[in-house]
Amino acid sequence: MKRFPIFGWLIIVLGILYFFTPLVGTLEWSLRIVSRDSFSLNAYTNVLMSERFQRTFGFSFIAALATIVVSVLLVAPTAYWVHLKLPRLRPWVEFVTLLTFVVPAIVLVFGIVRVYSRPPFSLMETEWGTNFLVIMGYTALSLPYTYRAVDTGLRAIDVRTLTEAAQSLGAGWGTIIFRVIFPNLRVALLSGAFLTFAVVMGEFTISNFILPGIVSFGPYMVNLNQTRPYEAAAVAIISFGLTWTSIGVIQLLGRGAPGQLAGTR
Amino acid sequence: MSFLELTNVRKLFGQVAAVENFNLHVERGEFVSFLGPSGCGKTTTLRMIAGFELPTDGTIRVNNKDITFQPPQKRDTGMVFQSYALFPNMTVADNVGFGLMIAKKSKAEIKQRVDEMLGIIKMFGLGNRYPYQLSGGQQQRVALARALAIRPQVLLLDEPLSALDAKIRISLRAEIRAIQRQLGITTIYVTHDQEEALSLSDRVVVMNNAKIEQVGTPFEIYNFPQTEFTAQFVGTLNTLQAQVRDAARGALVVDGQEISTAQKLDGFNAGDAVTISLRPERVAFYGELQKSNVLNVTIQNITFLGSIVRIQVRSGENIFYMDEFNNPFLALPKIGDQQQITFSREAVLVLKSGDARGKTF
Ligand SMILES: Nc1ncnc2c1ncn2[C@@H]1O[C@H](COP(=O)(O)OP(=O)(O)OP(=O)(O)O)[C@@H](O)[C@H]1O
Ligand SMILES: [Mg+2]
Repeated sequence: MKRFPIFGWLIIVLGILYFFTPLVGTLEWSLRIVSRDSFSLNAYTNVLMSERFQRTFGFSFIAALATIVVSVLLVAPTAYWVHLKLPRLRPWVEFVTLLTFVVPAIVLVFGIVRVYSRPPFSLMETEWGTNFLVIMGYTALSLPYTYRAVDTGLRAIDVRTLTEAAQSLGAGWGTIIFRVIFPNLRVALLSGAFLTFAVVMGEFTISNFILPGIVSFGPYMVNLNQTRPYEAAAVAIISFGLTWTSIGVIQLLGRGAPGQLAGTR
Repeated sequence: MSFLELTNVRKLFGQVAAVENFNLHVERGEFVSFLGPSGCGKTTTLRMIAGFELPTDGTIRVNNKDITFQPPQKRDTGMVFQSYALFPNMTVADNVGFGLMIAKKSKAEIKQRVDEMLGIIKMFGLGNRYPYQLSGGQQQRVALARALAIRPQVLLLDEPLSALDAKIRISLRAEIRAIQRQLGITTIYVTHDQEEALSLSDRVVVMNNAKIEQVGTPFEIYNFPQTEFTAQFVGTLNTLQAQVRDAARGALVVDGQEISTAQKLDGFNAGDAVTISLRPERVAFYGELQKSNVLNVTIQNITFLGSIVRIQVRSGENIFYMDEFNNPFLALPKIGDQQQITFSREAVLVLKSGDARGKTF
């Protein structure tokens, strides 16, 4: 067994300090709402009891679920079709999904606002319209994550042969997609879904410019930061907890998936 | 009318012809193999029968119905893939019952047929396993059961055994043949393994370079190859260069030594260069046996192959093999020895090669 070199330990310690110092600082700050010398959970109870927290959190939660549904239904069949019939287009599709990393969210928002605030697409006036636009915007933001996850999942199974096997047994496209392909992408779809969830819960730019006032969780956090710093720290800790729980759940579900690798090739 | 008919089938991928001028009639219940080297178009032909590729030209008929442009879902063919292609998310029973579920059969009927199929593949009681809990051989048996459960008109297998190890390959191929006979299902079997094709099939289609070289029973293919390719691909390669000395007598010259063939040499003239084939097992040392042809050769190499000993010999430019059955008292020559070998006139086959002068046999 090779000895773990000093240098390795040093990197680990630095990494831990780098990632955890702000977190510990925030946690400590959030506990000092009552006085400088004692800890209390008041910031957390204040936040959790507040009507605005519940409303914005609820909105973003539901928006995240809607985004997951839309992006899965958009991305999974597309990626499947590209794998099956248009493998040469794969780099292009991947490029398109990565555009949201390249185009700043603020540019995306101005584009959306410009196009959809005048006829023929006046969607900015109604609540339904803005909700719709915001979910489409979130979907665009989640594309790189969902596409990557689904693409990796598709690579792990022999898409073409499984499709042909199902076809020769009489299955149509609907059956093939929902009974053969999707079930084998379960883990991939879940990890895409949790990443999307995390992105939507923290999203600020699109929400702030399209939705009227403080409707979603991201703008709420920013606003809170300016007005009630202790509660803001508490919210930050809560959302960290959420994200980590999501990742934990991905890991757990990923482990128990039958037949992801064995016997598919 | 044959049960499965391919007429003038051709498939181009861009400019490249993957299959050309393919004509084949398969009778109901027949087991036909496509045999040929990698890239010769076996899989492409099979996929056209299954409906995964559309022919560029030609027609495909099953049971007197033109299916050339039918989608695969409507064709009623069962397909078994080299990679098994079981649905990883389903149990063995659900895999086998998949086609029946699609066909909207009742639960009871599906269960009954699945049990019946699991019995046929000798995997009764393993219905609740997932594919990853099975060995390769078991997975391929399940794939076979899945393809057969829908009672297809034609069963198509694309190198189903090539991912398995040698022992299982041999036992499973016998099992496939037995099940095929039991159900009487018309079957096309793609392989590049000549032993597999010869041992399983009613008829073998030898393919090379997108074309059919020869169609015949294993006996015909092995003993009467009609082209140089068939002779070389099926069995051990032994071809010799010779000249015609006297077509009327069937006299040929190999390396200055005269031999003769029982074959008619109509249309050949004295001095024509020809290629002849000679199976290793039909050659013996002179003295053990005395046949009508005798050649002086030099021993080049001796390889022990278990039940036979393969001896490489040389006569002038020609290097070829002879096989001796192994036995403890076999007196083997030494490398470099001069020996006389012998073979019958019937063992000498003159082949039509690519640029042959249109000889038919
Ligand atoms: N989808 C395709 N696009 C372009 N060319 C193809 C395609 N499929 C097959 N070919 C070409 O057609 C020819 C025949 O291929 P095919 O797969 O039928 O060969 P095969 O006899 O099954 O070989 P193997 O024993 O290696 O499986 C090959 O030259 C191959 O490169
Ligand atoms: Mg092939």
